[in-house]
Amino acid sequence: MEAQVGIDNDGLRFIAMALAIGLGAIGPGAGIGVVFSGALQAMGRNPEAEGMLRTYMFLGFALAEVPFILSMVFGLLIGFKII
Amino acid sequence: MSVRNAALVALVIGAVLFFGFNLKFPNFPPVSVKAEALMCIGGVIDDAGHCSKETVFPITNSLITTLIVDVLLVLVVLFGVKNQMVPRGFQNFIELVVGSLHDFAVGVDKKNVAKFFPFIATAFLLILLSNFIGLFPGAGSIGMCQKVTDPARIEAMENKAIKPTSFDTLPLQCDHHEHEELVPFLRAPTADLNMTLALGLMSVILIEYFGLKALGLEYLTRFFNFREGPMFTVIGFIELLSEFIRIISFAFRLFGNIFAGEVVLIVMGYLFPYMLPLPFYAFEVFVALMQAVIFSVLTLVFMSMATQAHGGGHDEQEAAAH
Repeated sequence: MEAQVGIDNDGLRFIAMALAIGLGAIGPGAGIGVVFSGALQAMGRNPEAEGMLRTYMFLGFALAEVPFILSMVFGLLIGFKII
Repeated sequence: MSVRNAALVALVIGAVLFFGFNLKFPNFPPVSVKAEALMCIGGVIDDAGHCSKETVFPITNSLITTLIVDVLLVLVVLFGVKNQMVPRGFQNFIELVVGSLHDFAVGVDKKNVAKFFPFIATAFLLILLSNFIGLFPGAGSIGMCQKVTDPARIEAMENKAIKPTSFDTLPLQCDHHEHEELVPFLRAPTADLNMTLALGLMSVILIEYFGLKALGLEYLTRFFNFREGPMFTVIGFIELLSEFIRIISFAFRLFGNIFAGEVVLIVMGYLFPYMLPLPFYAFEVFVALMQAVIFSVLTLVFMSMATQAHGGGHDEQEAAAH
């Protein structure tokens, strides 16, 4: 007799966690790329402004990364059965 | 490519393939998200590594590593720095590190660097050493065996079709047939959410403190701004919310990067233990440095933003700086 193959609650939970983290990583990934490419172009055009640009580059990086952090937190919350 | 090089490359690839397919790889080790307790002060530790209810203070493996990092930093300061006017030897290196950190901080905020620098530099050195110590050989692999009591884990261990591997005959291995798991003595402190949460809380509290100190009660108008119309009221509330998101984002950025790095190294090591983990290891060294830089630079930038009056004050400061 063959064993029944199906998705139980835990399996759905893991799929939900993977989806939350994976989908949440798309936007911030592109956003961080845009931030750094813009900063690099600006540094190349105007090397004197590098110090100030680097500051705002990291600021932009932090702001662009927030959605991913949130989605990762929710993904972990789902995966570890907290919500 | 010369014939000799081609022969060498072929030999290496052949050896890797030969050993790769003939050795049986060890079973995948457990990955624990939280730091495991090694001792329980005021209580007793059971076979499964859980502390009993009356425990006042569990001693986890990441706590031990944190203490090692602290002792190392204090020793460096006590014995490495002798206040020589002309530095010699080790003090040169320390002055190089602190000097380049200071130069970087001056580039971000010239006016307040003396106030901000102590916390930034301390956090940077602590996080850097914490990240590196988790990459040391033996940090995650030497430990003691503890029995698994969680029924779900036992079932998972049994279902995994434990096959005999070449590593089972080595001495000092945990016995998987007896449901034992390895609990490492050392774990990177930043791979523990408690540590990174504490660092994030400290840095956000200091940001607010410096903001309040520099601007007084005017600092609060960026959160509760009812004078300039409903638009600014909403923006103020979003700013207030983002202060709390900063704690989470500081904590989870550091924790996520370091913990994910460890998991990636373990997975690569068990997928194919020959040479594949090497580039990932190098990348993790880079990530360890990068995360320390990101944490301290972001704290510095947020502090410098908090001390600037919102509105027209910014341009005047820029003009004064040049």
